[in-house]
Amino acid sequence: MTEYSKMAKGRFTSTGQAQVVNLPFIPDYVEFINYTASATPANHGIPRAFWDANMGQGIAVVDLFNATPVLITDDVTSYGISTFAAGQLLQFGAAQAVTTVTKADPAVVTSTSAHGLKSGDVVIFSNLIQTATTGMQQIAGIPFTVTVTGATTFTIPWNTNQSNFTAYDTATATQDATFVKVLYPYLYEPGQSIISNIVTGATTAIGTTDAHNFVVGQEVAIRVPTIWGTHQLNSLPNTTIPGSPIYAYVISVPDYHTFVINVDSTGYTAFNSNQTFAGYIGRSFAQAVAVGDVNTGGVQISSGSQLYPPPYIVPIGTTRVNTINGPAIQGAFFNNTSQGFIIGAGTAVGDATSVLVGAADDVIYWRAFLHDIQGP
Amino acid sequence: MSITTTGNLGPMILQSLAPAMLYVPTPTMNYILVTDKVSMPANGGTTCRFMRPRALVPPTIQLGNSGIDPPAQVPQRDIIDAQMAFFGTGCIINEQVILQDQEGVLAWVSERLAVAMRQAEDLILRDYIVSAASQINAGGGANGDNPTNLAVSDFSLVATTLDTNNAYKFMSGIEGMDRFGTGPVRSAYFMLSSTELQTDFDGLTGSGFLSQWNYPTNATALPAEYGSVFNIRILCSSEAPVARGVSANGNDVYYNTVVGKQAITHINQDGYSMNLIYRDPYYSGMLAQNATIAVKFAQAQAITQDTAIRNLLATRLSSVPGP
Repeated sequence: MTEYSKMAKGRFTSTGQAQVVNLPFIPDYVEFINYTASATPANHGIPRAFWDANMGQGIAVVDLFNATPVLITDDVTSYGISTFAAGQLLQFGAAQAVTTVTKADPAVVTSTSAHGLKSGDVVIFSNLIQTATTGMQQIAGIPFTVTVTGATTFTIPWNTNQSNFTAYDTATATQDATFVKVLYPYLYEPGQSIISNIVTGATTAIGTTDAHNFVVGQEVAIRVPTIWGTHQLNSLPNTTIPGSPIYAYVISVPDYHTFVINVDSTGYTAFNSNQTFAGYIGRSFAQAVAVGDVNTGGVQISSGSQLYPPPYIVPIGTTRVNTINGPAIQGAFFNNTSQGFIIGAGTAVGDATSVLVGAADDVIYWRAFLHDIQGP
Repeated sequence: MSITTTGNLGPMILQSLAPAMLYVPTPTMNYILVTDKVSMPANGGTTCRFMRPRALVPPTIQLGNSGIDPPAQVPQRDIIDAQMAFFGTGCIINEQVILQDQEGVLAWVSERLAVAMRQAEDLILRDYIVSAASQINAGGGANGDNPTNLAVSDFSLVATTLDTNNAYKFMSGIEGMDRFGTGPVRSAYFMLSSTELQTDFDGLTGSGFLSQWNYPTNATALPAEYGSVFNIRILCSSEAPVARGVSANGNDVYYNTVVGKQAITHINQDGYSMNLIYRDPYYSGMLAQNATIAVKFAQAQAITQDTAIRNLLATRLSSVPGP
């Protein structure tokens, strides 16, 4: 070991989904032990895996229990172990072809080949044009968090079961629709989100197309172009105090793409997500943006809450993922840029039932290295 | 008679180093230009907290003759936090390199590190603005996309939005002069844009775009300034954010940040911004072989007036610039 090599180790409990591990360096070698799979040998289990940068991204060499169960060796050739350096935004994966998008709530998307997405990933669509005047081009260009339902299917949080939407089917469409994955959607939090739905009432529930990452106490501004309906939520104009923006506070967060604000919107114009196909050209979307914080001053927002909890993001569901940063004031803007490695949920070539990152609740111990000297 | 030529008596040493290094292509860094600067004190915690008072309701209702005071108002304020983050990079240079090189490796590595650090500051601000500022899609262009290409009506719309929000402009206007081909420049917000859109801006000449070269005077023009449209002066950089291939029709989407004064704040802590750290080989290992040279800095950033900033998203009308 030379003077400037880097080493790190750690553990996590698998969720069965790809696991991101943040490090202060980008490793060139990663290995891990799945303690659970090692302690209880069973067919399809992967107790150990190894990756070297020279193998290429997304590869891993694994030990694998066969049906006996006896250890054999195999490799994972996609969604294995890879590194990442998420330091700049607006990076996208390769364009993937869309086969169909259903007219449903939520809309169901079928990709032409295996999409490789996991729930919580964010995608953007283009060319959802069925004919010259029909299709779903109204939602093209919007970032959507996906919920994966199969190797080639996923849903997006938008109600396309409305009169102005026509189901997309590439077999009969005049354009070939595609989507791209947004590689690092949450590097700076909280940010701005596209609004998919607003439920008016004594308090106002707002749905977003991707994870809003707001927390209770967050101060937000709403920007709704008139064509989308509920423009009375806009922070300006203020009919009582000239020029003073009207902001709202988040009072609850039911899930990753819904938040409730303390605005009595009874009687406001209904939100209209049933936008026309013909009007998609140059149409601005309704948005919610973070402004600041409730003035907690270190006061607990609710009983038992931490005074200064670590910042986190909520990629999907209600699962919070802490960031690399230390404790922060609730709701503060924070920088979530990071680097490290990802253990994917790929399968061994010879056993499609195995999963590299293990099953949910498996305990995994990992080690990562960045070497000073690399031989030929 | 035999002639001695370089064929039989060439120079013993074939190479000599040119007196000046070649320049390194470096994008203009515009985002830092439009920020307000704030310094947090040492021992000041992790987070810079901003407070903005809210306006009070103007008393437009007459008191009458009852002798009863109106209800008191409760002053309110908005709180905006920005958490400090630390960044750094460096090089490890073996003493043999320093001993034997001819071109002053420590000097140019220092310069490169400093530029890298300044670029990091700008890129962090850029990406933060992409994440956090609200967006208006250009709709005045004719390319049939969402967003469309930029039309002068889009400049007018976004400047009107900021004016209606009572944002402060950066630049006072430039009065017209009796100089052929020039025109007056309005007081303006800045728009931070991409060099790839310059062809589109040129296409607006005559319908609202005024090239920087056609200003009455260039005295107040910034080096990155390409021109102006109505109340917006355009600064271009090759590193302005572009989302490739994600418009409704699958074209590139450009983030044109239109910004007023005090919209974005850039925060350092106790002058920690920019430390160039050189450690002599003496400090490395028992044989003292390696020097290190590095930069580190701390910064936080916040949108401190969300009403005074918009990302004007646009696609392009012109062809893709050549490679």
